Amino acid sequence: MKERAPIVSIVDDDDAARSSLRLLLKSLGLAAIAYDSAASFLAGYDPQQHGCHLVDIRMPGMSGLELQQVLNQRGGFTPIIFITGHGDVPMAVEAMRQGAFDFLQKPFRDQELLDRVQRAIAKDHSLRQQLRSNDDIRRRLDSLTDREHDVLALVAAGSPNKVIAHKLGISQRTVEIHRARVMEKMHADSLAQLVHITAVIGIPYRRTATGRSSSVLPEGPALAGR
Amino acid sequence: MDAAVDGVVLMDHGGRIQAFNRAAERLFGYPAAEVLGANIGILIPESGRMDHDGYVERFVATRIPHIIGRGREVEARRKDGSVFPVLLSVGVVEGGEPPRFVGFVRDLSLRRRAEEENHRLQERLTHVSRLATVGEMSAGIAHELNQPLAAVANYAQACDRLLGLPDPDVEEIRDALKQITAQAVRAGDIIRRLRALARNDVMHREPTDINPLVSELTELIRMDATAHGVHYELELGGGLPQVEIDRAQVQQVILNLVRNAVEALREVTRAPRQVTVRTRLIEGSVEISVCDNGPGVSQTIAPHLFSPFCTTKVHGTGLGLAMSRTIIKSHQGSLDYRPNTPSGACFTVRLPLTGQE
Repeated sequence: MKERAPIVSIVDDDDAARSSLRLLLKSLGLAAIAYDSAASFLAGYDPQQHGCHLVDIRMPGMSGLELQQVLNQRGGFTPIIFITGHGDVPMAVEAMRQGAFDFLQKPFRDQELLDRVQRAIAKDHSLRQQLRSNDDIRRRLDSLTDREHDVLALVAAGSPNKVIAHKLGISQRTVEIHRARVMEKMHADSLAQLVHITAVIGIPYRRTATGRSSSVLPEGPALAGR
Repeated sequence: MDAAVDGVVLMDHGGRIQAFNRAAERLFGYPAAEVLGANIGILIPESGRMDHDGYVERFVATRIPHIIGRGREVEARRKDGSVFPVLLSVGVVEGGEPPRFVGFVRDLSLRRRAEEENHRLQERLTHVSRLATVGEMSAGIAHELNQPLAAVANYAQACDRLLGLPDPDVEEIRDALKQITAQAVRAGDIIRRLRALARNDVMHREPTDINPLVSELTELIRMDATAHGVHYELELGGGLPQVEIDRAQVQQVILNLVRNAVEALREVTRAPRQVTVRTRLIEGSVEISVCDNGPGVSQTIAPHLFSPFCTTKVHGTGLGLAMSRTIIKSHQGSLDYRPNTPSGACFTVRLPLTGQE
């Protein structure tokens, strides 16, 4: 799937800061959209847009930290780089504790900005890929029949076909057929891969009455290893 | 006559000195023998001489006392030529034609010197207090100066990179350079305003419009407020008459009150943290109020609010409110506190209108 180009969102109440930062990013080959307040950012940003956020930590009205809180509550994962000034260390520490990706003290060197922004964009890219992959897995799981699902659970738990057959009250031959279908539908080339794939989502997991898996963002640690 | 503390000088209708007591000898530095028969003019500095001759002539002609009977502050001249302030009361000697006049002369030099010293100390204290305020605002000032600097750094680096491209957009680069200039000017303005605040001006009262005076402080106040995450509102009342004030002093008081409000709002974590400055005409005075939505002033502190050296600030001097009240009182005005609703504090400065002090 072709990726949209990443966009850096600038959030800063100071006109000169926004303007100069946008030009600097442009000279570094990066596209940017600037917002003059946290409020206008929240009203206009696209969560689907790949990139990162550059947020001034000190702003009148909603501050940088308050904006971070709102984004956290909304389940936002786009990396935030805070721009700080002298004496903003306590705020920067708090920002990092609340999950900020990085912070940069102004004035900064263009190379420094480029490095941090590129790292943030790469992180964003990998997070989104992971989520898409999880969605794929979930879709594939949803395509399994109830019986295939049961077989998958037991296979992933390490039971041999004979035991599965006994447990489910079907013939071993039937188990083998179900197993082959499951491997095909889950796009798994080996048992090890099947176990790995299902570990991400978490087997056993609850199937709703409609037979669809509940879509929940995977927990942090599952992503951290990526 | 020689027992009198004050100088006593007797003169005839022509202004000739007829008697000169011991105190007068001491005051003016002349032995009596030297001045007897001389014109009274020798005791009066150049600047006052014509006036004096005029008074005497007028009285002799009209018999209406102008200087007669009232104590007036005038300047007198000693033998060595030095000029000194005196309180002069003149009376007509009973009986006798042509009239003779007696002058009672009290030396005011000590009093004058004490007044001047007081004035000088007041100015020093005001100046020091102003510098203290500037110091307290330094966090905001540093933050504010950093903004244009950071923008310049961004623009300059951008230009450098853009010029490295195969086909640079000259207009874009030129525009960036203009922005750099604008930011440098912006930084210069901030510094200039700072220096204006810290300058040591002679105290000088003049009829002033309050609204422009308060507006002038907006930039400085915003620096301080923004640095501490506080929102600043300014509400200027219309049609305010002029007040007779020392601009720098009243600006100092307002800055002090705003500083206090910003400090008080540190405790408040729930936004919005707000300081509002309002001007209006009320009960024949111009009122400037500084209100915040902070924790307000506790019952225990309230009675001592304006006492010197009473402070709740960690690094406070406790002089701010006491000084502010002194300054406003010296303008025949008032500085008071009242709680804000639903929470917080309001400090109100009232100044009498020009011609009413």
